[in-house]
Amino acid sequence: MNKMFEFAIRRQWSGILAVIIAGAIGLSIVTPAFLTSFNWFVMLRSVCVSILVAFSQMVMLGVGQMNLSVGALGGLAAIIVGGLMDAWGWPALPAIAFALMVGGVAGFINGWLTVRTGINGFIVTLATASAFAGINLGITKAVPFYNLPSNFLAFGNGKIGFFPILLVVPVIVTFFLAVFFSRSVEGRYLLAVGGNSTSAELSGISVSRAIVISHVISGLLAAAAGVLAVAQLGSAQPTIGADWLVISFAAPIIGGASLSGGSISIVGTVIAVLLVGLIQNAMVLLAVDPYWVTFLLGALILVAVWINRYRAVHLDVD
Amino acid sequence: MPLVLDRVEKSFPGVRALKGASLVLAAGEIHALMGENGAGKSTIIKIITGVHKPDAGKVSLDGKEISLSSPRTAISLGISAVHQERNLIPRFSIAENILLETLPVHRGLIDFRRANTEAHRHLQMVGLDIDPATEVRRLSVAQMQMVEIAKALSHDAKVLLLDEPTASITDAESETLFRLVRQMRDRGTAILFVSHKLEEVLSLCDRVTVLRDGETTLTSAPMKGMTRRTLIEAMIGRAERPIIPRASTPIKGLPKLEVRNVATKSGHRRISFSLRKGEILGLYGLVGAGRTELARALIGKEKVTSGVILVDGKVARPRSVADAIQRLRMGYVSEDRKHEGVILAHPIRSNIAITIWSRIANRFGFLTKKLEREIAEPLSRQLDIRSPSLEQIVGALSGGNQQKVSLAKWLAADVDILIVDEPTVGIDIKAKAIFHELLNALADKGLAILLISSDMPEMIALADRILVMHNFRIIDDLVNDKGYDTTSLAIMSAIHTVEQASEDQRTAMSQQWRPEP
Repeated sequence: MNKMFEFAIRRQWSGILAVIIAGAIGLSIVTPAFLTSFNWFVMLRSVCVSILVAFSQMVMLGVGQMNLSVGALGGLAAIIVGGLMDAWGWPALPAIAFALMVGGVAGFINGWLTVRTGINGFIVTLATASAFAGINLGITKAVPFYNLPSNFLAFGNGKIGFFPILLVVPVIVTFFLAVFFSRSVEGRYLLAVGGNSTSAELSGISVSRAIVISHVISGLLAAAAGVLAVAQLGSAQPTIGADWLVISFAAPIIGGASLSGGSISIVGTVIAVLLVGLIQNAMVLLAVDPYWVTFLLGALILVAVWINRYRAVHLDVD
Repeated sequence: MPLVLDRVEKSFPGVRALKGASLVLAAGEIHALMGENGAGKSTIIKIITGVHKPDAGKVSLDGKEISLSSPRTAISLGISAVHQERNLIPRFSIAENILLETLPVHRGLIDFRRANTEAHRHLQMVGLDIDPATEVRRLSVAQMQMVEIAKALSHDAKVLLLDEPTASITDAESETLFRLVRQMRDRGTAILFVSHKLEEVLSLCDRVTVLRDGETTLTSAPMKGMTRRTLIEAMIGRAERPIIPRASTPIKGLPKLEVRNVATKSGHRRISFSLRKGEILGLYGLVGAGRTELARALIGKEKVTSGVILVDGKVARPRSVADAIQRLRMGYVSEDRKHEGVILAHPIRSNIAITIWSRIANRFGFLTKKLEREIAEPLSRQLDIRSPSLEQIVGALSGGNQQKVSLAKWLAADVDILIVDEPTVGIDIKAKAIFHELLNALADKGLAILLISSDMPEMIALADRILVMHNFRIIDDLVNDKGYDTTSLAIMSAIHTVEQASEDQRTAMSQQWRPEP
């Protein structure tokens, strides 16, 4: 087999990176608007939220579980941070901290229910997703919060060069997750449980604890994504999070995560989010109907899963 | 001569499951297929039913060489099997199950009336008088078995393979089954009867083939003149000792692990034994005797309902596996290394260091590749794990090397008590020898080792004492004098005597309690 091809397949994201570079070059030739600083700012800002959403699911795939409540949880955190600042007049930092705490607690509930009841995490989070969305709508009556403090809005709109300030958050989170999964004992426990939960348990690792911890991290990340979304939009919309589910699975999977658990790629996930961001941007610039983005995302997931399968069968890397 | 296997060979990665097995199965006979665990019985079954293709040798049917490429081909040639585990769809009716591939259709819809009539005819052949519209899940195990036989007959089976058919039914039900099997034989069906119950094989079967280590030690021999002893000897062999026996040194000192009157949720009753420092205690039993389940109870993975486990004379209640490892310093090498022993997608380094991640992490709670390598490197060398690098994922290693990794992690954890479950199943002879030396050396270093094995020569060469387990009870505790013939015979007769006794008891009970039909 061709060496280059094999490398590209083994490092799944390297191929995607090539696609992104080629796409960016192509776009800058076709539409001059692509290289403007405003366009970069808008594109990167939307990527910030997606990265956190993708990480939120990636953590769950790492431990061999799923979290269908990522969007509902993020939406709840979004209206909590907005509501506290608008209706209760809280300053930005305590409001953000409180929203994150709610995310962590909600994640803990997800994990605790999964471990305690023994019900499939898929079903548990399907149910809690509906519950979280219900709380969201109950609080807001579907009316957004608009009056947000100016420093919070500045955080969402500010830029350093043409990089949005918001980008700081995903950069820090990426760093922490990278260290967590490659270097910390707890992070390695999560991957061991995802790789083979029986073997991990027989090696003295608490499977329940690993599942609860990953749900808490997933909840925190989803909440952080919700907060960033509010900052980005400048208002706390009750609809935030409603369309996160697909990207949450698409990015980690395209990035090379194994659906059977225990194997994830942080770099791959980030690159996959960039790819999706680029596609969305391209479609706006080329005036393609944005609804086709959803179609493309679906097709991408299928291709990514198929490549995963190919890797597992032909290269024995699973 | 319907079915002939001529010097059939089959290898799997790391093992030669069949090294030239032959069998002549004639029409109108009941032919026993016997052998210890791992002798190659299931491989033969899978070849006959078209699941595996042989690497070498011929399979012929009615004098013509055939190629069984799939279970479907086998069935279409008239070879049907009733496996040990039931293969029926519980929520479908009997009729649907029997006629699954050939359900009668009328104007594009299933014609249930005709299906039921047809199924009824097949049910009568096996003497089962039940409405064919009944859902299969409402039947008893024995009735399900009859339905499977009816299904095989509906395929016009010339060859019928019964895999341990009496393993899960009562004695009275077995009698009904035997009557049916004899009837089928008299109608000209060739029946291959796989069983480890000596008495029923001796009384039911006309001829016998015995497998040992992938070879046939008895090939289609007439049953006439056979005794329990000749069959046992054919199964376990004699005077073949490739393993250097462990020096017999009297083990003194207080017990390291003591089990008193333990009962478990999985069904163990009155389990008592003790294990000393430096001792290898063997635990022998047939598949399903409850050995693995006992191991799991000892390390806190399964519930102990009564009795006590003592470590160093102190009552130890392992709350979880983590607790057993860290507090009681116990380790467990699983028999199922792929699913329980290792994490296939992770590198060798992490698989070995996993048991002590929390111990080797630096003061910030961080693990580095270097820390893991420092642990894994010497062990990998000691156990001769063959791999270009410690970064290699375990899934890419051979079975023997995977097993070494699965053991290495307990050496890394530096445990005092090691439970080893079927350590050498499916690995090649060289790796086997390394394992045996290693277990010996570990015991000499003072580890207390509980060795679970179905490999009789291995057990007799390594164990200081042997516990014999049957049906979740310990039925014998014998000192191993390392004399192969005497010890193996003692073990086998213990098992078969108890089996016969419990059979008799079951018959008595089922006659007493049988509800009116």
